[in-house]
Amino acid sequence: MRAARTAYPLKWRIMDALEGVAAAIWPARFRRATPYLMLLPAVLLVGLLVLGLIQIADASLRTLDTTTFQFSDDYSIANFRRALTEPLFLVVAQRSLIAALIVTAVTLVFAFPYAYLMVRTRSPGLRKFLLIALFLPFFIGQVVRAYGWLIILGNQGMVNEALGLVGVAPMRLIYNYPAVLFGLVQYMLPFAVLMLAPALTAIPEELEAAAGSLGANWVRTFIHVVLPLARPGFIGAGVVVLTLSLTDFAVPAILGGGSHDFIANAIYDQFFRTSDQGLGATLALMLVALGSILVGLVFALFGAGTLAMGRSRA
Amino acid sequence: MSGSRSKSVVLWTLVTIALVTLSAPTVVVLGASFTGGNIITFPPDGLSLRWYARISQASDLRNAFLRTLHVAAVCTIVAIPVGTLAGIALAKYAVRFEKTIQIYLLLPFTIPLIGSGIGLMLIFGNAGILGQLWPVGIACCVINLPFMIWAVTASATGLDPDLELAAANCGAPPLQVFFSVTLPAVMPGVITGSLLMFILALNEFLVSLLLVDARIVTLPVLIYNSIRSIITPDLAAISVVFIACSAVAVFLLDRLVGLDIFLKSK
Repeated sequence: MRAARTAYPLKWRIMDALEGVAAAIWPARFRRATPYLMLLPAVLLVGLLVLGLIQIADASLRTLDTTTFQFSDDYSIANFRRALTEPLFLVVAQRSLIAALIVTAVTLVFAFPYAYLMVRTRSPGLRKFLLIALFLPFFIGQVVRAYGWLIILGNQGMVNEALGLVGVAPMRLIYNYPAVLFGLVQYMLPFAVLMLAPALTAIPEELEAAAGSLGANWVRTFIHVVLPLARPGFIGAGVVVLTLSLTDFAVPAILGGGSHDFIANAIYDQFFRTSDQGLGATLALMLVALGSILVGLVFALFGAGTLAMGRSRA
Repeated sequence: MSGSRSKSVVLWTLVTIALVTLSAPTVVVLGASFTGGNIITFPPDGLSLRWYARISQASDLRNAFLRTLHVAAVCTIVAIPVGTLAGIALAKYAVRFEKTIQIYLLLPFTIPLIGSGIGLMLIFGNAGILGQLWPVGIACCVINLPFMIWAVTASATGLDPDLELAAANCGAPPLQVFFSVTLPAVMPGVITGSLLMFILALNEFLVSLLLVDARIVTLPVLIYNSIRSIITPDLAAISVVFIACSAVAVFLLDRLVGLDIFLKSK
């Protein structure tokens, strides 16, 4: 009896039972549908976001009655008319869009050499150092990083104290537009480098050597060989940085000090300060649309770049 | 790397600026947390651990941190099976409407966080589950799910379909094939993905801000609320908790799968 049990361990019995259950609820003739079954939980989970968007769309069509603080039962497009005509929202939208474009350009300028050096260096130690210097801030939340900038740039911050030691009057370094842009670039750098690096790895180093041996200096090699081949990386990085900075909340809130709000801050205020859920939902819906249009535009023009998931088709 | 002196000067100048910008907040927060004075000054008022002693006494901070861990744990536990199955399905099978499904599964990235957060807030509000922690974990899982799927599909190159056929040929039933052949092949991706999910949920701020109320604030929200009023060194000491978590995550990632996998081209 005992010998039989060691010959057929408990783990096998459990596995057999599980296989039996699995075969009963998902017989072999369903095999073709297996991948869809495996995708189902993810599809359902992401479905929460779709439901959320439907809720937002519903809320956006209801107007707030300011005398009773009740939302209307019937639909109207009054919120959209307000969102498009009130100058405040236009200013905020314009500020966010311009910031997103500047941040994307600046981030890519710094991310490219970083990714290039990291991929091309012959020293494993340097590569590891660059990777760690990238991941450490990436894994430290936005709030903590913005707090660090407050300590450095604040009115009684390190820079101003240091300037005071050499007799320079304190300057206002935060709560302005450049501070927000700077904070966003710092936040976006790891994203951009991580999107660019795989594209650079895919470029054979021999191509650069070949360009060099044909007489091109490094600037021409970059312009005519490396940058064009790195295009999928630039698309991936550009889209991620553009959309994330366009829709950011924490950096404008903390480093902008309330006077340099982005669209996300305006939405938050509508929900939690003025309690006009309808108008807030309208703005949120328009931001989703704006973001999707931007992503769609880039993908339509340049392809999905390094953002493509799924089976490699190399 | 090959090239002229001017190339390395230009590259290194830009990279140095990037390095300083990346590291400055971390270094400064670390430094400020050891200050001896009551406010953060430069140069610092001597060194001390008093702010660490202070935060270890503060129960609101400790509870907020435990809540944050709770959220991150829920997020990771949900993400591992969901993301692994979806990632394997996308990597292994020719699925019908593959493009559409891929675009759909990228929705968490294409919908701005404020939109996802508000939408989930409205749904959870209607369902009457706002004010609990597990919906916050689910929300963090949804918004970061593409990271998990991406990590698994990226490691699926180690998945040789012939191995699975061979196992089946030797008599292994489907579940055993999955657990002894398929899953070990994508394990590096599962580890990378779950670490990413955990650390991102630990740091998640905006969605937490929208979904928590005063009784269940998570640590990032608590720090944000405190920053607005006054900057004291105890905040720096709490922030060091996040820096430490980040360092542990980077270390684990490097040890378990190697940071280099992020440099691999598909």
